[in-house]
Amino acid sequence: MLVMRRSIFSELVAVTAYPLTLYLAFGFGLKGYIADVEGIPYPLFIAPGLISMTAVNAAFTESAWSMWFHRRVQHTIEEYRVTPITVYDIVVGKIFSGFCQGAIKGMAVAVVIFILTPFRMDYANLTAYLIYIALGSMIFSCLGTICGTTIDKPENIGRVESVIIVPLIFMAGIFFPLSSYPAAIQPLIGMLPTTAIFEGARQALLHGTLNWRFLVVLLASAAVTFAVAAVTFTRKMSE
Amino acid sequence: MIEPAVSLQSVTKTYGSFTAVDDFSLQVERGIIFALLGPNGAGKTTLIKILTTLMRPSSGDAFIEGHSVLTHGKQVRRLIGVVPQENNLDRYLTARENLVFHARMHGLSPQHYNPRIDRLLDLIGLANRQSDFPDTFSGGMQRRLVVARALVHDPQVLFLDEPTTGLDPQSRRVLWDHIQTLRSRMTIFLTTHYMDEADTFCDRIMIMDHGKALVDGTASALKDALSQAHIYEVEFRNHSDRYEEILRSLPFVESLERSGNAFRLVLTGEESLKPLMDSLGSSDVRKICLQEPTLEDVFLELTGRTIRE
Repeated sequence: MLVMRRSIFSELVAVTAYPLTLYLAFGFGLKGYIADVEGIPYPLFIAPGLISMTAVNAAFTESAWSMWFHRRVQHTIEEYRVTPITVYDIVVGKIFSGFCQGAIKGMAVAVVIFILTPFRMDYANLTAYLIYIALGSMIFSCLGTICGTTIDKPENIGRVESVIIVPLIFMAGIFFPLSSYPAAIQPLIGMLPTTAIFEGARQALLHGTLNWRFLVVLLASAAVTFAVAAVTFTRKMSE
Repeated sequence: MIEPAVSLQSVTKTYGSFTAVDDFSLQVERGIIFALLGPNGAGKTTLIKILTTLMRPSSGDAFIEGHSVLTHGKQVRRLIGVVPQENNLDRYLTARENLVFHARMHGLSPQHYNPRIDRLLDLIGLANRQSDFPDTFSGGMQRRLVVARALVHDPQVLFLDEPTTGLDPQSRRVLWDHIQTLRSRMTIFLTTHYMDEADTFCDRIMIMDHGKALVDGTASALKDALSQAHIYEVEFRNHSDRYEEILRSLPFVESLERSGNAFRLVLTGEESLKPLMDSLGSSDVRKICLQEPTLEDVFLELTGRTIRE
């Protein structure tokens, strides 16, 4: 937290630049070419997804790189392990750190989009929306922790981001409605936790509804990824 | 009977078919500086990792102040301070923040840790650099900070894994002066490759290799044990190559090392001295003298002279 506080301004500038660029490029650049999506203006359609994407990306990146850096470069994990805190304390701390980064950066992007663009929302929907952000950040923080724990070469973390995380995010309907997929694969796409995050978040922010099926998917995914992260880290530390 | 500060009971650690520590037992009494010596790969760091709960033994158990590393790891970690081989400081925290973070992981309150950190920073000469990041420090300063961090919670047993490796002589001296001041308050368990350090500063020395203890005692006792070996230094004025051939052919010369015109040889016994002199003659011999064994001689005698990977 101390380190994050120290670098929060530069971090926020960097983290908001990418989604804001996407919002301006797609939301405004393509606005004239794309009709309303399911009755929603296109810039409004993509905004919740971009905010959620920033949150989950930040959660994954922070957890994965922080765990890798502390384990492989600074060896500070070894220092933590000779103090009375337990291996579980360490892994929970790392997951919580990723979760916080995700939540804070997601909110920062929301504020920037709100200030700089005509995007507006009903504040009564915010609580429901934050549930999705929180669960999404939790899942991706656990995934990042697993990667940072098991992967020794830094380039392989980048490969996981390119091959698994980015497709998971972009296939989940940030920029287009899920109905665009062929009917045969729509059930598969619907089972992705990222679909539950982005589609659920959109429904929550724009309509104020909580989709219970999505919430169950997210809660189950959070529980499974947390358990895997804790077991993986514990095993790695006992090697 | 007083409980030992550190105790290992038949500890074995294997990695697949490789045995790093082999049925190792040891008791270290309180309040001493104990040095564990051994070549690379002897099993020293594995032992320290087991004693500091970083690694579980394959069999056996180890105890710190009577607490098992297997069943009371948390209690063990409250009692120990650890200085690892690498300076594992957090480079995104200042010197003081590194110490504060460590104190908080030990559950200390600011009222408790702040005065203590002030004293430690003074002691290691980093009080005026406490707001700087470790990356801006020299190797010696970083090492002193790692030692200070290990002392923040006032441990009863301090583990130092090659604490002075890579430091210049001045930094080594400063660090040892500091370690010396701690001996009255805690037990110090260290590994080092510097024989002079072990010889000068340690109360008890154990040499290990291939996961087993070879000898154990004070520096003088270990050297006395080797004084039975008859080590001589012979230096020639001329024809050193010819004399090397002669020396190598003598059956009572156990080992031979050459450095220029000087030879270091180990004889089978005192009675070999006369036939040695008869073989060499006196015209080319510049010097011949009995050599007192050093701790390094003891170490090399026990662990061999071949370089380990």
